[in-house]
Amino acid sequence: MSVPLSQIWTVASYVIGQKLKGRPRYPLVLMLEPLFRCNLACAGCGKIQYPAHILRRHLSVEQCLRAVDECGAPMVSIPGGEPLMYPEIGPLVRELVKRKKYVYLCTNAILLGQRLQEGVFEPSKYLSFSIHLDGLGPEHDEAVCRDGVYEEARVAIGDALRRGFRVTTNTTLFDGADPARVRQFFDAMMDLGVEGMMVSPGYSYAKAPDQEHFLRRQRAHALFSAILERPRWRWRFNQSPLFLRFLMGKLDFECTPWGNPTYNLFGWQRPCYLLQEGYAASFRELMETTRWERYGRRSGNPKCRDCMVHCGHEPTAVDYTFGSWRGFRQAVVAAVTGRL
Amino acid sequence: MSGERSLEGWAPGAGDEMPLAEVIDLAFDYRGDVTVVLTDGRDLIGYVYNRDRDVTEPYLQLVDPTGTSHTLRYTEVRTIQFTGRDTAAGTSYEAWLRRKTEARPA
Repeated sequence: MSVPLSQIWTVASYVIGQKLKGRPRYPLVLMLEPLFRCNLACAGCGKIQYPAHILRRHLSVEQCLRAVDECGAPMVSIPGGEPLMYPEIGPLVRELVKRKKYVYLCTNAILLGQRLQEGVFEPSKYLSFSIHLDGLGPEHDEAVCRDGVYEEARVAIGDALRRGFRVTTNTTLFDGADPARVRQFFDAMMDLGVEGMMVSPGYSYAKAPDQEHFLRRQRAHALFSAILERPRWRWRFNQSPLFLRFLMGKLDFECTPWGNPTYNLFGWQRPCYLLQEGYAASFRELMETTRWERYGRRSGNPKCRDCMVHCGHEPTAVDYTFGSWRGFRQAVVAAVTGRL
Repeated sequence: MSGERSLEGWAPGAGDEMPLAEVIDLAFDYRGDVTVVLTDGRDLIGYVYNRDRDVTEPYLQLVDPTGTSHTLRYTEVRTIQFTGRDTAAGTSYEAWLRRKTEARPA
């Protein structure tokens, strides 16, 4: 695994602290969406279909920081939309780093080279660019519905690494993914020098144009088993090894929908990053008034039946790791031996 | 929304078969602006971003093109018309593949 020790320590002490306080529900990663605007229109994305007057708007830095303080999670992921189109991204990231939040700036990297050139960011152990790449060139360009984006991202990754930034990748896999090609992609990312990779099956957004290529649970287990059964020693993942075992069908985790709460232009999104069933005005209201029993696979909610996405299940894996000796032992064994 | 019919242009009248709460649910799911016709005769155009029908006084929330948010009780709403463009319609993966194929030199 490639998560830095200081970050593991921060997360572990936070989770144990929540347990000692007796909090049954706590956030792990704040998903902060300062805008919905994007410079791509990917077929699998359900995040950007809004009228122009919504796409033109964005949160202020003050609104973002209020949400961060209100939530209290030790990690902040900034997706969107494309966060590098957010005019206040530099000041926002600086403030988050000042607060010692581990920031994952999720970007398609089209604007990354330009922003680095402009000096918008400074390298920090708290800041990682999480580059969206869904495979090697042909697969990624097809997923994002534009030719040449993979190559742009590859160049930008090299640039960011040369400047001393932490760089990870995040990959969404859809039905029809070729395990051999995904393994080649992992090799290519390691050759590039990224710190670690994140991988997740896609979620079938009701508003995403492409509804036919999302993975159902059994097919997802088969695909991830084929990809990860004999992981190469050089592969490094920036996520819990137990989540990867869950993807392979070796562990059964229920969703933790409050684990990655989402804040955007409309407020605190119920119940999770993927489903959009309403908004709460405050984080407290979100946690206290959302009917959590309606979500997760065991609830019988058809929208949750096949979901295995990391934003709901990685918090479960982390809670299992730091909340039980058995989970801790399994995670340590996987991290030390590299076997999943 | 591939394979689904868009609600764009739909204008249910007050008292149509569908209950108002369901029309509001559809407006909440709709990725375009709508026109909310109020019981006092006024119209309000904007994007419905929230609604809660599980509370004592069910309400919806709408943001208008100036960015102003409005909270309306269901009892204030006569009907909703789907007047804005459905931004989730007509952008299918298949359409992109077709455009890509057409753009390739023969």
